Amino acid sequence: MPVSTWRQTAITRLRAWAARRHGQDALPVTIDRRRIYILPTRFGLMLAALVVAMLIAGLNYNSNLGLAFAFLMASLALVAMHHCHRNLLGLSVDVNLEADAFVGEDAAFEFTLRNPSAVDRRDIEIRLAADAEALKSVGANGDERVTVEVAVVRRGVLRFSQFELRTRYPFGWFRAWTYVQGSLSAFVAPRPRGDRRPSAAAAEGGVPRSEAHGDEEFAGLRPYAPGVPLKHMAWKVLARGGDAAVRGYTGLAAQPDWLEWSALEGLDTEARLSQLCRWVLANEAGYRRAYGLRIPGVEISPGWGAAHRVRCLRALALYSAEPAMPVEPQR
Amino acid sequence: MKLAAASATKVTYDQLQWLCACLALALLAHVAALPIWLILTVCAAAAIRLGLAARGRGAPARGIRLGIAAVSIALLFVQYHTFNGLAAGTALLSLMAGLKLLELQSHRDFHVIILIIYFLNLAALLHSESFWLLGYLIAVSWLTSATLMRLTISTPPPGWRPSMRRAGRVLAQALPLTLILWLFFPRFDGPLWRLPQESQGAESGLSDSMSPGDISNLAQSDDIAFRVHYLDATPPPPQRYYRGPVLHDFDGHTWRRTHSDPTPVPPLVPSGIAYRYTLSLEPHPHNWLFALDWPTRWDLPGAMLTSDYTLVQPAPVSRPADILAVSYSQMRTSDALNPAMRRRDTRLPPGRNPRSILLSQQLRGSHPDDMDFARAVLELFHEQPFFYTLKPPPLAEDSVDAFLFDSRRGFCGHYASAFATLMRAAGIPARVVTGYQGGTFNRYAGYWILRQSDAHAWDEIWIEGRGWVRIDPTSAIAPERVERGLNDALVADEALAGRWQRHSPWIADLRLRVDALGQQWRRSILQFDQKSQDNLLLILHISEPDGQKLVMVLAVGLGLALSWLTWQVRREMRPPVKDPLVRAYGRLCRKLANIGVPRRLHEGAEAYAERVAELRPDLATALTALCRRYTELRYGSRRARAGGPSRAELAFISGVRAFRPHALKPKI
Repeated sequence: MPVSTWRQTAITRLRAWAARRHGQDALPVTIDRRRIYILPTRFGLMLAALVVAMLIAGLNYNSNLGLAFAFLMASLALVAMHHCHRNLLGLSVDVNLEADAFVGEDAAFEFTLRNPSAVDRRDIEIRLAADAEALKSVGANGDERVTVEVAVVRRGVLRFSQFELRTRYPFGWFRAWTYVQGSLSAFVAPRPRGDRRPSAAAAEGGVPRSEAHGDEEFAGLRPYAPGVPLKHMAWKVLARGGDAAVRGYTGLAAQPDWLEWSALEGLDTEARLSQLCRWVLANEAGYRRAYGLRIPGVEISPGWGAAHRVRCLRALALYSAEPAMPVEPQR
Repeated sequence: MKLAAASATKVTYDQLQWLCACLALALLAHVAALPIWLILTVCAAAAIRLGLAARGRGAPARGIRLGIAAVSIALLFVQYHTFNGLAAGTALLSLMAGLKLLELQSHRDFHVIILIIYFLNLAALLHSESFWLLGYLIAVSWLTSATLMRLTISTPPPGWRPSMRRAGRVLAQALPLTLILWLFFPRFDGPLWRLPQESQGAESGLSDSMSPGDISNLAQSDDIAFRVHYLDATPPPPQRYYRGPVLHDFDGHTWRRTHSDPTPVPPLVPSGIAYRYTLSLEPHPHNWLFALDWPTRWDLPGAMLTSDYTLVQPAPVSRPADILAVSYSQMRTSDALNPAMRRRDTRLPPGRNPRSILLSQQLRGSHPDDMDFARAVLELFHEQPFFYTLKPPPLAEDSVDAFLFDSRRGFCGHYASAFATLMRAAGIPARVVTGYQGGTFNRYAGYWILRQSDAHAWDEIWIEGRGWVRIDPTSAIAPERVERGLNDALVADEALAGRWQRHSPWIADLRLRVDALGQQWRRSILQFDQKSQDNLLLILHISEPDGQKLVMVLAVGLGLALSWLTWQVRREMRPPVKDPLVRAYGRLCRKLANIGVPRRLHEGAEAYAERVAELRPDLATALTALCRRYTELRYGSRRARAGGPSRAELAFISGVRAFRPHALKPKI
């Protein structure tokens, strides 16, 4: 439809212009007057037509009360416009979390909205794309966390260079919005599936050998990193008031599993990646054993734990030069 | 959470209830003007829709909806023959709101109904201009806006108070802007285009004929005919005659006005005292204006005097009108009466009222002088047992005979009719004048109120060399009528409509006060026009006001009002005064943000310090200490403090003051 095309073009231009105008934003961003845009909605335009009709009726019937009522409606709209604008003004927004996802699931972006003012902010919508939006009200002098979930269908990096905050409060006659030039990204790993065994080596000694860790030799303390099994925590150190630490063992990576691209002959690329992804998850969840990943162009040396897992999954997400997902959010 | 497009979102039962309440209240203002079946249709639509919604179901099937719509719109057209004009338009809008309610599904339908409600409110104000109605409609609009707000926000608060409060705040902030727009928006003289005229207001009042008993019927009515405000002197009671239609043609029973005016206005030489006054007419179905005897000047364009000195305008008085006029207490005509008029005003129906004609001729024998004869007839009314009564017995065809010789009980119309007949029988030109006489003084606002009960009829006879002379035969029978008003003239046991009200002084008083307020409202609000705007500009010391200056003042006023609004809206946002501790922490964060490490919104003080320490080891010691201090003070066991900040807090505050981080790389 030509109107919607025209509209789409206008919005794209506005977004690009806003991006040039404000430059890259350092989060958190506090929304000031310069970056709030406001326009009447379709309902607002209907109201404007109504006010004009009222004005004509009042003038035509020479009715001062009719005129007064028409002016009341016009003023009400003006005040509503101010309230709509104010609903965004002075809010601070920050991104707390960009959660990776698997194909077919939702990537989640968590935002914090902070309202330092004495008035409630009603129905602030954070919007990344047409079907990726979330709504939240923020009380006076309060914070709220808002999670926006984005359904992902393709492997790669989900990237947004801009997101939008918008509101139609109080009467839906106006929409105020602002663009924040904060880049958001989440890695989309392949959908984990496949039923092959990891490798010949792993298949031989395929018994979970978690208890084997106890036999390894203690090799000093390392700083704590999330994802380390609780039994490896150096509780005594923590109890003495020191920083959280983990006991390291030299033998942990002694007999690593290698998750090999080459072990999956006969499958196409995505199926291979899916199988590798599944192995990574299985290793993390069940076998608790150091593993390495080898795919063309990337080799991740054996390791274990959340950070290692993330590295592997991201490598799988990034495999090959597939174009990333469409990154520009759409209205 | 995924959001559907707002306009396609379903409407909840709660929102539907609010909407139905708004629509019902808006229609209440029109209930008298709308056909019953239409109101029932809208009510039924609301009931059906609410019933379905309560069971969690949507709108009824499309076929049913279309059927109802087609039938009811056709009915409406049959009733009004048009969809144009205020009455038919209002009915159509009301019906559309009802039908829309029936098919209400999405927010878009909801929006349409809301807009219709707003417009219905306006239409009610075009119908009636009462102060109370305005208040009521503003309240309805308030509720409507609150309803709209409940629709717009995703989780409306329970109960009606929070919504009403929020919508009320918006409405209150809109009032100053409204006032400025209303005061300075340029007014035009006439309507933009002609509208179908709709008769408005009371149908009662004087008509262009008078049968015995007409005026006494009118006297039962308490409706207000007009109000008079004298600018200088007030005429004494015997001169308070307000002239309406003059009746010439008599058929023995009924007097009628002659429509074809054969002659130009005989020149009128005013004499005596000039009275300047404002006449505020209520609408009535005829075109005459009730000026005080004898009108000479008036400021209503198009109005003119008929040959019998009634002030008329071309069209009926369909809306309240204010006329500034001047009348003289006496007038004199030196010209002779033109023969056509003399013929008309001495004509009597042949063969009717024979006894009266005989009586007149007998009396005329002993009174050859015209004025003398008139006095003799008045004397007769005074001497003989005639009674002034509001309930005269019905009279036979020869009404004057029946009245003069049989019943002898009559109201002013009877006496005027009999007197004119007797005059004409003697060859003296005579005519009956109808109008109003007397009035009630409103001491709260200084004007006279003339009600239908002040309607009166009197005579004028032609005296050679003097012109038309007013004779009021009623004053011969009941002089109190002319001096003090109808109520004192009546026999004690006769009930006048609204008499108890007038007998209870405090109610009469209250009525006068309410009437005075109503006039104030009318003068300052309803009749606010170009002239009032010019005066307003003069008050603002703007000389020679014109349209252009008005628009400039409007622009300036709007600018001021909008600045006020902006200020007001921002002022509400200003946070309450913060704890000095929190303020100092805010300063600390700002200092760090200035060197390029702003605190993330989800970061606590110590996590923040840690992150900064990693980036800027040079700040680590000072910052970690400060942030730990802050956490202790803020979240540790704090005592409720009565006075200012504690010593530890002061230490923290001065620590922040002394903390002066520098950006690592100097800006190029």
